[in-house]
Amino acid sequence: MAATRVMASAGNAVSAPQSLDLCFRNGRLLTQNKRLFFVHDFGKKLMLSVVHSFPCAHRSRRFTTAVRAESTNGSEPSAHYDFDLFTIGAGSGGVRASRFAANFGAKVAVCELPFATISSDSAGGVGGTCVLRGCVPKKLLVYASKFSHEFEESGGFGWSYEAEPKHDWSTLIANKNAELQRLVGIYKNILKNSGVMLLEGRGKIVDPHTVDVNGKLYSAKNILIAVGGRPFIPDIPGSEYAIDSDAALDLPSKPKKIAIVGGGYIAVEFAGIFNGLKSDVHVFIRQKKLLRGFDEEVRDFLGEQMSLRGIDIHSEETPQAIVKSSDGLLSVKTNKGTVDGFTHVMFATGRKPNTKNLGLEAAGVNLSKNGAIEVDEFSRTSVPSIWAVGDVTDRINLTPVALMEGGALAKTLFANEPTKPDHSAVPCAVFSQPPIGQVGLTEDQAVKEYGDIDIYTSNFRPLKATLSGLPDRVFMKLIVCAKTNKVIGLHMCGEESAEIVQGFAVAVKAGLTKADFDATIGIHPTAAEEFVTMRTPTRKIRSAPSEILMPKLLLVFDSSLCNEKLLHQRIYMYGQSTPGQLSDLSRCPSPDSYAYAVDEREVAKAAVKNVFLLFTFLHRCDFSLLCKQVKFDFGAKLDKVFELILKLYSVGLCNVSS
Amino acid sequence: MARKMLIDGELEKTNDAESHYDFDLFVIGAGSGGVRASRFSAQNGAKVAICELPFHPISSEVIGGVGGTHEEPGLDWCVIRGCVPKKILVYGASFGPELEDARNYGWDVNAKIDFNWKKLLQKKTDEINRLNGIYKRLLSGAGVKLFEGEGRVIGPNEVEVIQLDGTKISYSAKHILIATGSRAQRLPIPGQELGITSDEALSLEELPKHAVILGGGYIAVEFASIWRGMGTKVDLFYRKDLPLRGFDDEMREVVAKNLEGRGIKLHPGANLKELSKTEGGVKVLSDHGEEIVADVVLFATGRAPNSKRLNMEAVGVELDKAGAIKVNQYSQTNVPSIWAIGDVTNRMNLTPVALMEGTCFAVRYPEILALTSMFVSVVMSDYNTVFGGKPMAPDYSNIACAVFCIPPLSVVGLSEQEAVEKAKGDVLIFTSTFNPMKNTISGRQEKTMMKLVVDAETDKVLGASMCGPDAAEIMQGIAIALKCGATKAQFDSTVGIHPSAAEEFVTMRSVTRRVSAGTAKPRTNL
Repeated sequence: MAATRVMASAGNAVSAPQSLDLCFRNGRLLTQNKRLFFVHDFGKKLMLSVVHSFPCAHRSRRFTTAVRAESTNGSEPSAHYDFDLFTIGAGSGGVRASRFAANFGAKVAVCELPFATISSDSAGGVGGTCVLRGCVPKKLLVYASKFSHEFEESGGFGWSYEAEPKHDWSTLIANKNAELQRLVGIYKNILKNSGVMLLEGRGKIVDPHTVDVNGKLYSAKNILIAVGGRPFIPDIPGSEYAIDSDAALDLPSKPKKIAIVGGGYIAVEFAGIFNGLKSDVHVFIRQKKLLRGFDEEVRDFLGEQMSLRGIDIHSEETPQAIVKSSDGLLSVKTNKGTVDGFTHVMFATGRKPNTKNLGLEAAGVNLSKNGAIEVDEFSRTSVPSIWAVGDVTDRINLTPVALMEGGALAKTLFANEPTKPDHSAVPCAVFSQPPIGQVGLTEDQAVKEYGDIDIYTSNFRPLKATLSGLPDRVFMKLIVCAKTNKVIGLHMCGEESAEIVQGFAVAVKAGLTKADFDATIGIHPTAAEEFVTMRTPTRKIRSAPSEILMPKLLLVFDSSLCNEKLLHQRIYMYGQSTPGQLSDLSRCPSPDSYAYAVDEREVAKAAVKNVFLLFTFLHRCDFSLLCKQVKFDFGAKLDKVFELILKLYSVGLCNVSS
Repeated sequence: MARKMLIDGELEKTNDAESHYDFDLFVIGAGSGGVRASRFSAQNGAKVAICELPFHPISSEVIGGVGGTHEEPGLDWCVIRGCVPKKILVYGASFGPELEDARNYGWDVNAKIDFNWKKLLQKKTDEINRLNGIYKRLLSGAGVKLFEGEGRVIGPNEVEVIQLDGTKISYSAKHILIATGSRAQRLPIPGQELGITSDEALSLEELPKHAVILGGGYIAVEFASIWRGMGTKVDLFYRKDLPLRGFDDEMREVVAKNLEGRGIKLHPGANLKELSKTEGGVKVLSDHGEEIVADVVLFATGRAPNSKRLNMEAVGVELDKAGAIKVNQYSQTNVPSIWAIGDVTNRMNLTPVALMEGTCFAVRYPEILALTSMFVSVVMSDYNTVFGGKPMAPDYSNIACAVFCIPPLSVVGLSEQEAVEKAKGDVLIFTSTFNPMKNTISGRQEKTMMKLVVDAETDKVLGASMCGPDAAEIMQGIAIALKCGATKAQFDSTVGIHPSAAEEFVTMRSVTRRVSAGTAKPRTNL
């Protein structure tokens, strides 16, 4: 029984076997560049074998065939449908999926509402949130607002201004809108050039294969919903005076004094923008700290830095009503009192999926409680011909994730290449001032998932600040799994965090270890080099300090594969903390990290030999629980295991020589 | 017993046999490498001394400074005359172009704006004094004895320190480590004394109105950018067609274009012939017959190892033609008790590399001390056999570096030319040239360029380079990936951070070109 479980989980694990990293008492066993190493704590590295390839899991193969069976005709024109793919919504995800689908030879149409800077049921625009009401205009305003900080800094570097530079809001907004129009044009051209038909109007699902746009019906083999999300303002008295982020990006004049309600990334970004442009900024948050879901230390740090730059943060203060006074100014009534004199009140209280009035319920598409479309790993809804990507599915609401989901879907449907978007280790940035960049887990998540972790932090004054005299600082944090030495989380708050974290995201995604970070030479003098020069852990977190983690070696031989040929065996190694049952394997927190397989005949000999070497290294380990067996009988004693290994070893020799 | 020591990673403390030496280790030169090696060795239990010249921003045979290449008793070139002051000036210079960029973002910057060079210089000096103090405290905190004076080697185990008042004291040491760095060189042409080197350039009394820079290396382009950003008229002369020989040719073109775009006059394929004094300043005559009168002429024509006055030949330490101390992979010279790290060995002249060399030396230090003990050496050989390992040698592969011109260039791994030369199979080149988002509104006409060089067969990323804002910061993380042999597929599987420039590195989907090894040599010889 245990064996079945083992194999099942292992089957999953090896479907994406990037690496192995196992901690032993006096060293680590790990894979690097398709080689298996034992790295002694003392620093020595021993190559154990070359892994020629990783076995393919049966399960993923099955998925492959399943999906393929339904989409074999995907790339061929299907006579009875107008389109192979009809996409509703030409934002990041929709455009990506449509373009790629067309490139794969599908006949594709996409519909989108007419352009407007503020979205509604009847307005949108090609490019979507990211280009028109999100990342792009936001970043442009961030650029604009950062200059005031640079003027301040420049004083410390010998620059002086006869008059303090003044900012003209209308110039900025006009230039911003001109740039957005240019981008919409580019997006339209991209669609046109890839042969996607663009329809202007509101798309509505009539049935699983029919979409209605402005009263005209289009039939499609597949329908993709990529309508995104929209800001949400809670219903409180006076909420009609409040603006959302769409409006905040396109105000006719600059706020003198603005209340920003909410502590999420949109709130902190706008707080930075308006503060930089010299508005008086007040942020109201329900919680104690900004940015729920981010690493606690980063939350603390950002709060401090924002306050130092003059932003007034009202924590645990929730607006209950907005009142307009006779002078036209707004007052915000909260649970703690009233704050007066606002020219603007902005709500950054979250976004909701745009799933209303799309005909989804009638078509039988399941929605979650908050209105998001429920999809499987391939972005398929409960209706087999209807798919959804991007914010409307409320998975990870980021442009690059929508792009990934859209691209993966096009491959799945039209390239005979079923592809799941991979939502692990997705890096992200918050363009607050200073900005945040992060990838992987927060400390709390890491403790929950891995138990034992090492934390490395650095909080320093950057070179620029020592000259400018400003109180700017940089905070960096690495979270390392104590058992495997893998870097499982990386966080930064400070200038250029977003740019800096991208490269590290490649490293974290690739499953690299702290040792790999340490082996990298710094680029001097940069802030980023701090990430590769953190030598001592700030703290070590251990779930059970009294218990010494004693990894065991576990061998499992896959008999089903042995049937085929003499030496087709797999060796799974697993580190477990408590002596006892193999059923412990099912409690393995992340089988991917521990299971590893070798099934190449030519390396079998080496692999078995390596097991011997490991025995030598781990001489102090308790092997009485070491298990093996051809018939999934895990009761054998240690000496029997040796016997078996010897046998296999000799067979391996024979096999190789013959 | 041997086994236990092996596992615990501890060797027996050295016995008292060495007590007849004043020090276990004597380090000459308190720059990045020397400080690192002495601190770490002291932490490993060695009795360490270090000597350094008094601190002054401009180095000479008798002035150095803890922090290296600088003015007063200083420790380190990097801190005193190199990376740090340079970066400070680059920051200072970046504000000029920033002001231009601010205009289209709605900022009124038409009122009079002044730049005060003296103020920046003073702040820079203050900061460097502060860092110098930190370095000194680091040393004393680690228990390293610091001597002020010029050190020279007078025997395989003997160092002489010439103190400030001229008196000489000699010390015996079991091991001697040379970490004296390098010094800027002038071109031997008539009137060369009228020119300055980067040392003086970091501490000029007045900001030059018109500067002529000779050289195409990183120091030359950095100073060109610094002065230009502060409003100086700059003429840059270099012998090749493009600056920054050794870097990727395509990136060199981008740098040249950017320098020109920011108002620096380039004189490729040109050299200086003669300098002479005139009323208006220094008259520069180029080999193309051009005449320019400038107030400052900077020789950025390379650096030479500081090995002259160390008395190396007398004790039998071999130097190469350039005067660099020859060492093996463990930084040991041909005299077993004498070691050398950093720029004086002219391997890869970067601060973090000197740090690495210093660390490797220090980590090995217990071993070096232990070699005399029969017992321990048995352990060591056992160790080597068991692990097939070698003593820790510095690893020079995939070291990222940055040139802080404006905008900066940063690279890691191989250039396209190197990759094509070394590759067995085809090389895939991915490039992306784009208008940075900030420029869409600022109107600045300057493109950012990124490049990945990939081995077609293994999919391994062999090299990455970028020229554009924040390149140095962006490249650090990429460097880890390359160091660990990341594949293009691993880059592709990483989700971008939007909107950033760096995300371009993980979204390069189509190959720009495929270059077959041995064939189609791309443009070289520039």
